[in-house]
Amino acid sequence: MSDESHEYVVRVDWAHDRIGNMFVEGKPVVEVATPPEFDGHEGIISPEDLFASAAASCFMTTFITFTKKMRIDFKSFSCEAKGTLERVEKGFQFTKILIKATVAVESEDFTHKAERALELAGKYCLVSNSMKCATEHENNVVIG
Amino acid sequence: MLMSEDPKQYSVNVRWTGGKSGDVDVRGLPTIRTGIPPDQEDISRMYTPEELFVAAGSVCFMNSFVHFTQKMRIDFKSFEVESVGTLEQVERSFEVTKIHSKATVVISSEDIRKKMERALELGAKYCFISNSMKCPTTHENIILVDETM
Repeated sequence: MSDESHEYVVRVDWAHDRIGNMFVEGKPVVEVATPPEFDGHEGIISPEDLFASAAASCFMTTFITFTKKMRIDFKSFSCEAKGTLERVEKGFQFTKILIKATVAVESEDFTHKAERALELAGKYCLVSNSMKCATEHENNVVIG
Repeated sequence: MLMSEDPKQYSVNVRWTGGKSGDVDVRGLPTIRTGIPPDQEDISRMYTPEELFVAAGSVCFMNSFVHFTQKMRIDFKSFEVESVGTLEQVERSFEVTKIHSKATVVISSEDIRKKMERALELGAKYCFISNSMKCPTTHENIILVDETM
């Protein structure tokens, strides 16, 4: 990654009730809404979901960057991120994100390196580093 | 607004799909494809984590604004917001260092302009997502009156 700064532009248009559409140029429109627990709608992606998704997808892309640098082959990667939103002094805030990741490697030889790549990904994940709350990790490397 | 004080949890899954890309699944909702796809694939159609981060803030601002308009019993015709997030190197890593949001609201009468401004201010102040980010979000609000609508 180069040293200069990068800009990300997103547009959100209100549609009706507590529902809107999110646009990024050239990408599929995503319908978004207030979640049901805040008087919103069932079955539509909420900003809370997007926040947790940003951390989880950034963790994945950062992990992949390190596997390329370290020349590690892996067969699969998946992670589950669980964000906790809690009441603080001024309204609600995310207080914690827990990311559970599972990586499959072909042989024992890659286990330690894959664990190291996961650790580094947690450390250098730029989305987590842009959040106030701590991100906890539970990493699982399996042979398969 | 009925709002329980209990902590709320949001779970999402990301599954690697090859190259630098993965599918984000939120409890059976439409999949969001993210990352950098393998060669030759249409890179432009995938969301980056940075975009999801900025989008989370913008969508939350909209939700929070809509909530305050309902509380204040004021109507608006349309609302849109464009947010620009800036990613910069901070020490050894990168961070989103600022987000600028430009909102445009169309109302049907000049009479509620002040109240609408207040709803936008409160929407920003109580945006859960912005309050969960390290960086500041700056706001530029435009209120237009269209009496014909």
